[in-house]
Amino acid sequence: MGIDIQQSLNGIKNMVSELAGVDDIKNVVVKALSSGVNPIDMVDAMSKGLEEVGERYEKGEYFLSELIMAGILASEIANILKPHLEKSAEKPAGKVVIGTVKGDLHDIGKNIVIAMLSSAGFRIVDLGIDVPPENFVDAVKREKPDILGMSCLLTIAMNEMRTVIDKLKEVNLRGGIKVMVGGRPITPQFAEEIGADAYGSNAAEAVKIAKALIRRGGYA
Amino acid sequence: MNRRERALKALQIEEPDAVPITELEIDVPHMETLTGKPFTSEAAPQTPVSADRRMEAVKVEIKAQCYGKLEFDVITCDLSAPDGWKTVKNPDETITDEWGRVSIYDSRCKTWFPYRSIFQTPEDFESFLFPDVHAPGRTFAIEYVKKIVRDEMALAGVIRDPFALLWEMLTPINFVRWMYEKPQLIKRTIDKLTKFNLEIIKRLADVGVDFIISTGDYCEKKGPMVPVKYFREVIFPCLKKQVETSHKKELKFIKHTDGNINPLLDDLANIVDGLHSLDPSAGVYIGEVKTKYGDKLVLMGNVAVDSLARKSKKEVVEETKECIRRASPGGGHFLTSSNSWYTDAKLENCLAMVKTGRKHGKYPISV
Repeated sequence: MGIDIQQSLNGIKNMVSELAGVDDIKNVVVKALSSGVNPIDMVDAMSKGLEEVGERYEKGEYFLSELIMAGILASEIANILKPHLEKSAEKPAGKVVIGTVKGDLHDIGKNIVIAMLSSAGFRIVDLGIDVPPENFVDAVKREKPDILGMSCLLTIAMNEMRTVIDKLKEVNLRGGIKVMVGGRPITPQFAEEIGADAYGSNAAEAVKIAKALIRRGGYA
Repeated sequence: MNRRERALKALQIEEPDAVPITELEIDVPHMETLTGKPFTSEAAPQTPVSADRRMEAVKVEIKAQCYGKLEFDVITCDLSAPDGWKTVKNPDETITDEWGRVSIYDSRCKTWFPYRSIFQTPEDFESFLFPDVHAPGRTFAIEYVKKIVRDEMALAGVIRDPFALLWEMLTPINFVRWMYEKPQLIKRTIDKLTKFNLEIIKRLADVGVDFIISTGDYCEKKGPMVPVKYFREVIFPCLKKQVETSHKKELKFIKHTDGNINPLLDDLANIVDGLHSLDPSAGVYIGEVKTKYGDKLVLMGNVAVDSLARKSKKEVVEETKECIRRASPGGGHFLTSSNSWYTDAKLENCLAMVKTGRKHGKYPISV
């Protein structure tokens, strides 16, 4: 039985990393569940598959479409596992409030990051696009996330990230959360300059960073 | 040598009297500043949003005036909506275009941007009534701009790449999902959009455009948006058909794309006549592309849009000189930014780029 469980888990990991068909992967997950494989172990296997996809994307072996497809597969698996995870009281990997800053209506990058973070087990509160600083602050107050993610594509809007961070400081909310930023014009230097905790250059990196931020806890 | 002749010479990869200068697009606020005229109609560079010909004519006049004032050598022009097209206004203040793309208005740029789709399922998409390529009026703006600029500036007819258009029509997540689950649907639609473009190219040739620019990105910062294999099997054969049709009409074909195009460069160099943008922020260096493909590719670029937005005037001047030094000798180079003059670009930087281009872009290049 032990060998079968390990085989099932390896199978799930490999199916995610090799981008198997949606129906094929769903069948394997359903079968594994009925064979008594622990859903938490399956989430772990799926995450390892996703990490492998992220690494291959970083190396240039995989492309954006493959990164997105891996996210789709992982979210299909997560949908099947969700009710079973609730039973086993599995905690989400973390909670992320995310949005595109004020003055910017672009959301493609943000949505890909959301898909990848959800797949990796994060609970997401998506504030949408053109989000005023006050709304970010209200959401942090209300949702008490572990991480606040901000995205933008337009250079003209990037300083809104600084405004949000400053407003969080004003109301003493900055200390309780990590702030992660990304988007076309954003650089690691800019992230540091505005007082963000981390910068992600792509969705795969965003997941890696989010996990690291959660592990670290408190201020970076 | 007038401005059009200068551009046409550069298109032949020969040295004109000076490096031609242009921009793929200039955001509305900059055009308003440069012309002193308010842009009262709605702009949307990626999709025609209205068939109000009176407003469209005003829009074209302002753009022609702006490009004329800058003494650009090329003016670009998009397709128009067909006669009688009524903008579909949605309750949430978005609009839906002919292709099912839902656009939202960006008040800072005064422009509509596609950000959603009406297609949720493959079935929605299968039942979509495809736009009629033969509908009259699609070349209204291009015909009008041709009348205004006559033979003073070269005229580039702008078409949308089938892959990029479908990526927007479906949104990236649905495009990718269906690319894996319904590959034939995606391939069939890219073929269909290609056929649309083939007819459009013929019509643009009849109107008298000087060359074609195909917009829509193939790449993002890290690399191609879909695997290189997919480009070779599905996208490039369609691109090749469009180039062949352009050549039959004696038109050069320039492909625009942002992002890291390095993995696609060998293929592209054997298909298209030139590349626009050459995004330095994604690791595409115009000097390297010139060295490797300068004998077969026209290069349009590549003063970084981020430099125009964030760097000092002095730095932009130096970057422009470097761009000319690397790309202009031998001809075949058009000085442009690495995309367009976005709203966030400092106008003084944009004008410094043009001024530097005029000063140091005279052949023989000695910068």
